[in-house]
Amino acid sequence: MEWNIPSLKDLEHYFWRCTACGTCRSAYEFGPPPTARPICPAGTEFGFEGFYSSKGKAAFARGITDGTLTFDDPEFLEAIYKCTVCAGCQNQCQIDFKPHIPEVIEAMRREAVASGKGPMPLQQNLVQSMKNYNNPYQGPRRLRTDWTRPFKKAKTPIKDINTQPAEVLFYVGCTGAFNKAAMSVPQATARIFQKLGIDFGILGENEVCCGSTAMRVGDANEFKRVATSNLETFQKLHKEKGVKTIVTSCAGCYRAIKKDYILSSEYDETMDGIQVVHTAQFLHQLYKEGKLPLTKEVPWKVTYHDPCHTGRHLNKFVVDHDGSTLWEGAYVDVDESDCLYDIPRELIQAVPGVQFQEMERIRGNSFCCGGGGGVMTGFSDWSSKNAGLRIMEGLETGMEKMVSICPFCYFNLTEGSRRVGSNMTLHDLTELIDAALEG
Amino acid sequence: MSEMPKQSKESEGVVKALQAIVGEKYATAATHIRYAYSYDMSFVTPKLPDYVVMAETVEQIQQIMRFANAEKIPVIPYTAGTNIGGLCIPERGGILLDLKRMNKIVKIDPESHYAVVEPGVSHGMLAEALHKHNLRFGWPVGPPSASVSSCAISHGIGGLNARYGLNSQEITSMEVVLPTGELVRVGSCAIVDDAWHSTLPLPKMDGLFKGWLGSTGVVTKLGLTVHPIPPVLKVFTVSCDNVEDMYSYMHNLAYYEICDDLTAVSWWLAQVPIPYPYRPKPDDVPEMFSFANTNSFTEKEKEAREEIWQMVVDEEQKKGTSLKVTEYPEEALRARTQLPSQIVGSTKNYCKMAGAGISWPGTFTPANKWAPVYNEWKRILIEHNLSPSVRMSMYRGVHYGMLRAMIPFNKQSQEETENARKAIVECLKVDLDNGGIPYKPPVDFAIEINKRAHPGYLELMKRIKQMLDPNDIMNPGKLGI
Repeated sequence: MEWNIPSLKDLEHYFWRCTACGTCRSAYEFGPPPTARPICPAGTEFGFEGFYSSKGKAAFARGITDGTLTFDDPEFLEAIYKCTVCAGCQNQCQIDFKPHIPEVIEAMRREAVASGKGPMPLQQNLVQSMKNYNNPYQGPRRLRTDWTRPFKKAKTPIKDINTQPAEVLFYVGCTGAFNKAAMSVPQATARIFQKLGIDFGILGENEVCCGSTAMRVGDANEFKRVATSNLETFQKLHKEKGVKTIVTSCAGCYRAIKKDYILSSEYDETMDGIQVVHTAQFLHQLYKEGKLPLTKEVPWKVTYHDPCHTGRHLNKFVVDHDGSTLWEGAYVDVDESDCLYDIPRELIQAVPGVQFQEMERIRGNSFCCGGGGGVMTGFSDWSSKNAGLRIMEGLETGMEKMVSICPFCYFNLTEGSRRVGSNMTLHDLTELIDAALEG
Repeated sequence: MSEMPKQSKESEGVVKALQAIVGEKYATAATHIRYAYSYDMSFVTPKLPDYVVMAETVEQIQQIMRFANAEKIPVIPYTAGTNIGGLCIPERGGILLDLKRMNKIVKIDPESHYAVVEPGVSHGMLAEALHKHNLRFGWPVGPPSASVSSCAISHGIGGLNARYGLNSQEITSMEVVLPTGELVRVGSCAIVDDAWHSTLPLPKMDGLFKGWLGSTGVVTKLGLTVHPIPPVLKVFTVSCDNVEDMYSYMHNLAYYEICDDLTAVSWWLAQVPIPYPYRPKPDDVPEMFSFANTNSFTEKEKEAREEIWQMVVDEEQKKGTSLKVTEYPEEALRARTQLPSQIVGSTKNYCKMAGAGISWPGTFTPANKWAPVYNEWKRILIEHNLSPSVRMSMYRGVHYGMLRAMIPFNKQSQEETENARKAIVECLKVDLDNGGIPYKPPVDFAIEINKRAHPGYLELMKRIKQMLDPNDIMNPGKLGI
């Protein structure tokens, strides 16, 4: 399988489109009323221009390509990884660099890995774990199904799709499977599916990491290995077990399959006849069809956190690749229709008894939890500190629970809440929906 | 790029001294940190600072300045780095003093209509805070993240120029750390600690720190006049086939002082983005477009302004000029009226098509010289295959105003960058010879200004600089003296 993953050199034209104007540094909206809010977690924490948003990353990229900056400098190497790749800066940029910003950041990391210096030591453990265990959590295969124990105990076991056919593959993801704090996410998802009578199965011990974390820290080879394996598995399941839909509750997995896997030359052919959806989309479709009976009152006071990977990372950019409309490589427009902004909000507010209040930075301008881009592994202290900032923003709404649709955000924001000593609790959307369903 | 300074015991000592002042996290000599401060949007050759330090308090700045002065190390004050004159690019290395952490809005007095800001406060931040009191400021067409303070002390322009003048004319008081580390105040806050309402009737010593390109001190607090937001916006838009007719209209309309902003732009600047390289204007479209922003408190007031404007239009048309009431391109109009704006601020308007580079001959020029200078600029720029994307704006009356050409270029190419630099400097010479003066000038411009300057002016400037900065450590080399 061929993969078209660009090198930093391939992207040179685009980071030279950055004007260093600094618009990327804050989420500004004219309104009225006007609002201007910090949007860059790294800039907020570390301050210097190089850390700040896409302006700083363009400087680093230029420094690498002109030979001034090298990965032999451990401080520089670290700086390359002190970014959550949240794309908050991308949402502000208006010029031709815009569509390529996260790509440039990750291309620098790929260079770092190729030079033998990257990723950061703790992230190297993560990549090594993927090689050893097919997951980044150093979890033996047999532990991958620990989260299913309550189902076995209740004698409502989850179908093993390796042996039994099902239309829906629930692709659990490593965080939900191995991170004990986040196990409630796949558990709630599976409970909902069972309550609704969905014909679904899981890969169980045979599930392989989606590769998102490897890709985010620049290990393209490891990403390609697991992504190739997964694409082959998906095709096999489609042909042999009748899988038509892959559902995941993990924003990282969803982003990887939707946006990273398409870099494969065989994506269209392999995924023909299979749709990939996030659980929120899957449930929303049922809700629209009147098949999601949200009847139980759930008296929660809720605010919602948009994960980067189900939000602005799914932007579709219109780029004039051949110069036929504007000029070659011109950024023309952005299409947010794939971003999961409205769906979770609609579902939250469909639950009887829920009181809902938005935070100030939402949707495309959501402030990253701080866990993305390998930061939760590489710089856990900063990661939870940043999550604490987001929790404080949530508290300003007067709400008590923060709902999201990403087990990564779920875990990191929980850490953040603990760190700032707040009573704000984190919940996956599936937990809220589960609570609202009879059964 | 200048050579990397060798890591020496001396430089380690400087970093340690700076870290002792601001904390370990906020002072460094790391190459990658310095690199990001070595260039901006302009054609100015990138140069590295030797150190970068981020201060958070006035006391820290005083300590940094005392240290730098004792060690005779240059200090370059920096807020957002969004100027297009290379003003924060170190000419002689030294300590780059990033002031972004000083980002408090110290005070908004909604009754007396002034605000006090630290240097790291952005236009976006101040716009948000002022709007809560139904107040506004003269927002420039810069990035929302640009510094209010840096714009004002560098004689930056804003969207209320026709009504109130330059943003520097809105300054009411200042707190400044001198290059030698002393803290001074000018204006009313010098007499009463929390009175930031006026620089008058005291001697206007704010002039010691305005227009000096950060070479006389570090402004740590700035008082600024702010203004109510009249709710009724009306934008008058016209076009002309030539600059002479447009000047005639603007001169006529400016007489009545009814506009917050009275601006005309050439067809090339009205495009989003500016065409790069030069593209001829289609024959069937006008060459100049004007927007005149007015804000009124009532519909009747708006109607009175409309009556005056209509009278001006009628007069100009009777003269036989090419003036037409027309539509201004929609996105460009939004960029000019919804300020601060990401459209112009992100340089989408300016250099999106060229890539990375933008610079200017940006000048204050007698209004009656706009037309001849424009025509010369147009010739020069087209010769260099660059768009004559020119703006003309009236400042508080009719005698002078801003005349500038925003010149995008491909900064990745040294050849194209040098082409733009040559064209811009050539344009500048034409303007200087017609009585114009550049603002926020790169060093190339400063040299051209000084060539024409009265010897007494230069001598006075040197003496003031020597008095305030005896070791010439503040942003040295920028004034061309």
